[in-house]
Amino acid sequence: MEEKKKGKKRKSTGGVLGFVRDFTYGMATHGMARHALKQRSSMEHLFILITMGDMLGIPILPPYYSLRLLPHVVPQITTWKRRMLREKDLMDSMY
Amino acid sequence: MNSLWVLVWWVIIVIFGYWVYARWAAKRVFEIDEGRTTPAKMYMDGVDFMPANKNVLYGFQLNSIAGAAPIIGPIVAIQWGWVPALLWLGLGVFFIGWLHDFSSAMVSIRNDGDTFGALGYKLISPRARKILLTFIYFYLLLIATAFGHVITKGVSGNAALPFPLLVVIGVAFLVGHMIYKAKVNIITTTIIAIVLIFFSIWLGTVWTIKLSYTTVLVCVLIFGYFSSILPVWRFIQPYNYSSVYVVYFGIIAGVIGIIIGHKPMTLPAFTSWSIGMGPLWPLLFVTIACGAISGWHSLVSSTATSRQLESELDVRPVTAGAMFAEFTISIIAVIVCATAFADSAAYMAKVSNPVGIFVGGLGGAITSLGLPMSYTGALAGMMIIILALTIVNLVFRFMKVASAEVLGDAWSVAKNPHVATIVALVITFVLVKTGTWLYVWVLFGGANQLMASFALLLVTLFLVQKSKNYKIAIYPMFFMYATTVCALFYTSFFKLIPAAFAGKKVFGNLFAAAVAILLIILALVLAYDGWKAFKKYKSGAAEEAPAEAEKAPA
Repeated sequence: MEEKKKGKKRKSTGGVLGFVRDFTYGMATHGMARHALKQRSSMEHLFILITMGDMLGIPILPPYYSLRLLPHVVPQITTWKRRMLREKDLMDSMY
Repeated sequence: MNSLWVLVWWVIIVIFGYWVYARWAAKRVFEIDEGRTTPAKMYMDGVDFMPANKNVLYGFQLNSIAGAAPIIGPIVAIQWGWVPALLWLGLGVFFIGWLHDFSSAMVSIRNDGDTFGALGYKLISPRARKILLTFIYFYLLLIATAFGHVITKGVSGNAALPFPLLVVIGVAFLVGHMIYKAKVNIITTTIIAIVLIFFSIWLGTVWTIKLSYTTVLVCVLIFGYFSSILPVWRFIQPYNYSSVYVVYFGIIAGVIGIIIGHKPMTLPAFTSWSIGMGPLWPLLFVTIACGAISGWHSLVSSTATSRQLESELDVRPVTAGAMFAEFTISIIAVIVCATAFADSAAYMAKVSNPVGIFVGGLGGAITSLGLPMSYTGALAGMMIIILALTIVNLVFRFMKVASAEVLGDAWSVAKNPHVATIVALVITFVLVKTGTWLYVWVLFGGANQLMASFALLLVTLFLVQKSKNYKIAIYPMFFMYATTVCALFYTSFFKLIPAAFAGKKVFGNLFAAAVAILLIILALVLAYDGWKAFKKYKSGAAEEAPAEAEKAPA
């Protein structure tokens, strides 16, 4: 719910005031919000790697526990696989 | 001539550049399509790939690209006269600057949001990625040196600045703690931060602190160390957040002040084709980097921005729009500098201290609003120092990552964040202390513009591969390549090396020359690979290229 509210806030309502508000948010806070999200997803993806590593060929946890955790991880599997397997270099860490 | 006439030039460039040329190129050359799914939507993960409102992204892009360089470059380049500076700013942004930012984002968008490292690997050659990384490391070193001197010279030469600067750093820690730990409302936090900063600027004019050059330099490097080592949320982000408001206020007050004051341009419109720094071509074109064209922007456009644009229609307003906004900042810098001095001699006496010039210029313009010069001067000084420090605190962090990336496999010690940061700090200290700043600034501009040439090379290859009109990118690319390589060559062989042999700053000048020569070699290798790739795509082997690159070892 909170995320939805925030999403609504960020949407431009048009007009000069809407532009000024969005522009100021973009200048001052967007980078911070983006970084916080990145930090959270990195932690989550690390957790999935430890628990579901065998999906990428890295068996760390016994399958019994992996299966018990699987339902909690399912919604994130696609994103997690893409982020884990995507090539990363210096430029990714810049912005 | 009255300074308001310069604004006519600005209006012409913005209208014809943004609304005519950019619109035509976006539609006809890049064939932007509202219906095409962007990587932000296709790979939406809520983090890296996430559609964002174009106004938000515009602010984000402008904040990421605009540092102190669009102000300092024109201030230094007015040595050739303000007409050449204005011409290059206008024509540079019109033909190359916006195109570079826009097309970098477009190429990345059409390649699944890939960064330039991955694109270089795919489109140019497998070794292009390593070359780019090495290039970026030395490019970052030149940025750190150039801005390290600007801050040090500015703060050591103005006793009103150390106190508010210390307060800003303290406020950054406070804001970080309030937002992330104490969970205080962001509006309350912002109000407290703004009041503290603006009050400290006034207090700084009363409690003056005089510091020596070396003391300030060491403080700046300690600042760089903590920015590199501490978590981003603890220092860098709150620092950037709090400082945005000073810059915001400075720019708005400056524009209003210029319009109200509308002083005459007192510096000469044109001085000479060749000055102490060297000939107008190629040196003016690298002295003014940001504001006309800057390679840094391609790094922002092709990573963060390209992964957040929700429609191809937003690419032009966000990227080209931010570039024209930066051009505006440079125009302000030209006006405040060209109207601030009674004659050329007064300006030349201060040219190695751009902060001092900006304090007099912008500070003088803001006095039109009725504020005292002591306060407006300190405000202008803080504005430019804050902008320069924003860059410094990012640069050392990036250098740390670049060391791990380039040398990490061979030497595991390069992966240690403390070691990598301290090595970067020591090299910067040596180059600032022993180098000649004006030449280092030229090398920084050259490296920056060379980065832009690489971006344009990638854009050209992309357009050739897709059988589109590549001429729009290839001519600017040739021009930038030739100009930057010549500027680096001239500065190293005709300025730095002769100065070193004459016994002036021997180590610093030779070190800077070695960096310049390395950059030239890297540029030539990349140009050779680029030429081979161009011929391959031109002869129709476009489709095999990515597969070939994938087979080759990294």
